Amino acid sequence: MSLFVIAYYTLLLGASCLAAYFNKRSAFLLLFSLTLVSFVLGIIGGVSALRIVAILAGLLALSAMVSYAFREFLIAIASKNLAKELRTAPLTAAFGMFVIFTVAVAGIFAPLIAPHGEAEVITSAFAPADANMLLGADQLGRDIFSRLVYGARNTVALALAGTVMAFLLGALAGLMAATSGGWFDQFLARTSDVIMSIPSLIFALLMLSIFGGDLANDTTSFWLLSAFTGITGLLLVSAIAERSVIAWVIGLAVLAGVAALFGGLMLTIFNPSEIILILVVAVIYSPRVFRLTRAVAGNVVVMDYIEAAKLRGERKWYLIRREILPNSTAPLIAEFGLEFCFVFLLIAGLSFLGLGIQPPTADWGSMVRENATLISFGDITPLIPAAAIALLTVAVNFVVDWMLYRSSGLKV
Amino acid sequence: MIKSKDVLLKIRDLKIQGYSDETWVDIIKGVDLTLHRGEVMGLIGESGAGKSTIGAACMGYARDGTRISNGSIEFDGMELTTASESERRMLRGSRIAYVAQSAAASFNPAHKIIDQHTEAPLQYRLKKRLEAQEDAMDLYERLRLPNPKEIGFRYPHQVSGGQLQRAMTAMAMSCRPDLIIFDEPTTALDVTTQIEVLAAIRDIVDQFNTAAIYITHDLAVVAQMADTIKVLLKGREVEEAPTKQMLDNPQEEYTKSLWAVRSFQSPQRHRPKDGVPLISVRNVDASYTGGAKVLDDVSFDIYEGMTVAVVGESGSGKSTTARVITGLLPPSKGEVLFKGKPFPPSYKDRTKDQLRQCQMIYQMADTALNPKVRISEIIGRPAAFYSGLKGVALKNRVDELLDLIELEPSKYYNRYPPELSGGQKQRIGIARALAAEPTFIVCDEVTSALDQLVAEGILRLLDRLQNELGLAYMFITHDLATVRSIADEVVVMQHGKVVEQGPKDEMFTPPHHPYTDLLLSSVPEMDPNWLTTLLEERGVDNVGDAAAARIDPNDPKLSDANA
Amino acid sequence: MGDILGLVVKRLGLGLIILLVISVIIFFMVELLPGDIAQAVLGQGATPENLAALRKEMGLDQPALVRYLHWLAGAVTLDFGNSIVTGASVAETIGERFANTLFLAAYAAAIAVPISIVLGVLVALLRNSIFDRVANVATLTSISSPEFFLGYILILYLAVKTGMFPAIASLSNDMSFGDLLYRTFLPALTLVLVVTAHMMRMTRAAIINLLASPYIEMARLKGAPPWKVIVKHALPNAWAPIINVVALNLAYLITGVVLVEVVFVYPGIGQALVDAVSKRDFPVVQACCLIFAATFILLNLAADVGSILTNPRLRHPK
Repeated sequence: MSLFVIAYYTLLLGASCLAAYFNKRSAFLLLFSLTLVSFVLGIIGGVSALRIVAILAGLLALSAMVSYAFREFLIAIASKNLAKELRTAPLTAAFGMFVIFTVAVAGIFAPLIAPHGEAEVITSAFAPADANMLLGADQLGRDIFSRLVYGARNTVALALAGTVMAFLLGALAGLMAATSGGWFDQFLARTSDVIMSIPSLIFALLMLSIFGGDLANDTTSFWLLSAFTGITGLLLVSAIAERSVIAWVIGLAVLAGVAALFGGLMLTIFNPSEIILILVVAVIYSPRVFRLTRAVAGNVVVMDYIEAAKLRGERKWYLIRREILPNSTAPLIAEFGLEFCFVFLLIAGLSFLGLGIQPPTADWGSMVRENATLISFGDITPLIPAAAIALLTVAVNFVVDWMLYRSSGLKV
Repeated sequence: MIKSKDVLLKIRDLKIQGYSDETWVDIIKGVDLTLHRGEVMGLIGESGAGKSTIGAACMGYARDGTRISNGSIEFDGMELTTASESERRMLRGSRIAYVAQSAAASFNPAHKIIDQHTEAPLQYRLKKRLEAQEDAMDLYERLRLPNPKEIGFRYPHQVSGGQLQRAMTAMAMSCRPDLIIFDEPTTALDVTTQIEVLAAIRDIVDQFNTAAIYITHDLAVVAQMADTIKVLLKGREVEEAPTKQMLDNPQEEYTKSLWAVRSFQSPQRHRPKDGVPLISVRNVDASYTGGAKVLDDVSFDIYEGMTVAVVGESGSGKSTTARVITGLLPPSKGEVLFKGKPFPPSYKDRTKDQLRQCQMIYQMADTALNPKVRISEIIGRPAAFYSGLKGVALKNRVDELLDLIELEPSKYYNRYPPELSGGQKQRIGIARALAAEPTFIVCDEVTSALDQLVAEGILRLLDRLQNELGLAYMFITHDLATVRSIADEVVVMQHGKVVEQGPKDEMFTPPHHPYTDLLLSSVPEMDPNWLTTLLEERGVDNVGDAAAARIDPNDPKLSDANA
Repeated sequence: MGDILGLVVKRLGLGLIILLVISVIIFFMVELLPGDIAQAVLGQGATPENLAALRKEMGLDQPALVRYLHWLAGAVTLDFGNSIVTGASVAETIGERFANTLFLAAYAAAIAVPISIVLGVLVALLRNSIFDRVANVATLTSISSPEFFLGYILILYLAVKTGMFPAIASLSNDMSFGDLLYRTFLPALTLVLVVTAHMMRMTRAAIINLLASPYIEMARLKGAPPWKVIVKHALPNAWAPIINVVALNLAYLITGVVLVEVVFVYPGIGQALVDAVSKRDFPVVQACCLIFAATFILLNLAADVGSILTNPRLRHPK
């Protein structure tokens, strides 16, 4: 029996007794069941297993403290209404917000934070960590920490772009389908059914196998991007213009300009293969957004106030903007978070397979793949970018979970 | 009327809390109740009075999100608040039974009715399966269910609502409990169906001398059922007295006001001798896509400044008629005329001015007002949309409208619908209709979701507005009391057809069309002997569906229904 | 019963149509390539003669529609043509791999389905307790972790550091069944972790949704003990949602397997697909996609049919 084991059990049992004494039922249950689990773990895994438990518990306590402090910080700086909302946030949600905040800072200020360049080779392959390199070097001798920071920027920006595009198309189509009904609704619903019956990863692989090679050039990606923007814009124009010919003409002209501008802008930010990737995820996930938006808007459309507005003679765009959207924002924002998680995991998966973001761009998924061989030497380096992916996804999920709970009312 | 001095249930200073906005708030604020063996007590009150919560508490049961925080509940000498959960559970179903509002939702769709019926007796080992089934059939027979030997072997969705409600009463009786809690058992039913359920419940309770707590918001119903009545308001008791005394001589102001509700009556107007009707529905047939005909040759006229009440039970097609007039459902045959000129069948083809003329007020104010839009915009939008008002003119108009519906403008201008009470919301709905400056308003069951006092206020307001602004109303309702108080003319509908129409005074004096007669005679009255008298007149087997089915298709009154 | 049969047949027909549309998408997407497959195979430097020869050999000189029908007819008889990289028959290459993938998925499902349904019901019963909250955080974390993260953690701790299980799931024909289970334990466990979390959450939601029904309150007010409320009153109505949950996750297993196969170098169809995509071996890609899509649709179909069959309103029409 080492001193560690004795201290470990003393602490746990002491804490359980204290919890029991002060009638903190749930804390007691948690602590005591942890004690019981520890007995089993200790017998099977020995001291090292207990050590891992202790480290995990310490990490958990630390993140709880960080989350608590961060929530108080947010409450202190937020406006009165927002602060009231924030007070209801559980620690998990606060933790989520903290992680999102950190990743955002890392992504935005990547060049300032990272000590080395994104693709800069500074030492030999797999050099161990030292004062210069917090986490050591990768298979080409690049600083892993710097690449991690740049990865926050690249991976997240890409996933965000894909989610936004999927969301714009899906949400607009869903709102239109819900307000219009009829064949338009049926057509969109059946189309989304078909796309959704191909598993997302498989569909992504199929599309990448076609658009991934020579086709990933400036011209193709520009036209594909413009086409996508065009379809989205067309929905918008048809919602606003309805039966007015002049509005259609003006709308289409503006749309063409915006689509071209948007295509050009995206090309300066992302390279063609990344744009293809963004489009692929947008195509795959917009049907999912469509389906949800249609369901959410469908619940609103049956309300009498929508009928009253229709009978008043209001246009579709007014219905969407003033009557439906204000009542669908909460579930839609939550859905945006969920979709981001899906898109982010899909892109990470594709990159891990070597089919997503291409080297030398730093990206969390491909970093796992590049350093995977280290695992067999018991080195945790490849786990770090993988953990980063998991952490950000968990964080978003935590926040979404809280928002869903809020918007569903306090049921059960 | 108290049948025994033996106390069965004694509740003292009961307090129940509900969880809302992250804190526990009192919803029952100290209620006492004493119930003797064989006594039927009516608990009445408006929504939010806490009737149903007390009903559950009588079984020692607190619904999710509520808790019993104080007081004592003593059932036959056993204290329920301190008893263990399993002790309390042993009472439920065996000694205290429960009959819920919606039988359709409260029967488990996965099991046969009789299996659910015998569940409690089998669990308490009171009977063998076959005995329990025999007993169930006997109870079905007593409750006058059709095919008592066979009906139990059906699944709940295969049986109609009124029958299901009786089957649930039979289920409550399965262990011959000492006490049954009836929680609004007839609220969801049509009047003609309600009667058969009421008669069945009263019979069975009498036969077994069971004590009961009968929860309802309907005074006339409780007058038929209860020996004593307890009036509740916002979680507190107002007063309690034997039924007769309570009806004849209520003590408290609140109770008196409840009793007085049905007194309002607007003077009846008559059609102008020679004039074009404002709205004229001509031989309209309509059906929903792919469905059977919902309206069959419906015709009636509505004259300017008059109120036409359209009466009928659920499924009679009265709301569909409103949808045809407003253009939401284009008719498959026939047409709607506005001041003698045809109205385009679909609202999409109507001009702004045509749309403006015809407004609508909805039953559920909750779904009729967008919860995320300010009152000022809800009322202001039609004014801006039709009349192009802007800025100060618009604000003045909204203030004027708020004044008109008796809400203080400065107080309500910037608020959102969820912050208002049911009655206030309904007033906002009226203001929105008025903002368009219409000549005709469809009122779709506007008072049926409201408490009686509030409904009365809305009716008075509508009547005043009609006199001031010369509006015509089409008043859809299933409540004949409402018809009596506000209608000028009445249209009675059944199965998508107009069975009878005419001025109100004629409609309420015999001879009637047989269906009108059935409808009129099925409406409960405040007289405690009403049900008894009615059953004597009609015969026990001639109420509800049976009576409706017995209407003679060759009755001479049928042919001159549309005369 | 006629109603049910009609519904099931209708649902099957719909599934077939969707599958047909998907086959069109899969086939004609490849047609979007500039030039054609022959060009893609031989690259920019190919001589016109070589190109023409290859086109003739692959039947590319015929119109697209004819080739589609030809391909579809082949696919129905499990003949997907030949790989353009190795020249071997596609069906032979991926046939055995598909069996391996199905085995892995079935292995994971056999562990995950019972565990997650039991845990899901349990957590629903203990809702809002500390265990529910812990389970919520744990399952969310598990769902949010990419499969390769979980896979590598398992490799690191259960294979490299302790050596309890092999890190690489290599298979051979002469292995005993027990050996097979042992060797494929880590990939199966990875899948189990992800899928269990999903299924638990969905089962919990389905049960909690149900517990709010008036007939559950009625059962409680009839004095039914808690276990009976769940087993007799909630469960018979929960089959439809639970079947859906299971089918959805089995479908997920079949596709989520791709990443896991790569991590553990497992000889399944997922790895074949990834290889084919990077080598741009279109016949293989098309075949794999069609197989995955068909499995996916089949499972969803099974779920729909299952919920139709367990619906009492449909089983006992008026």
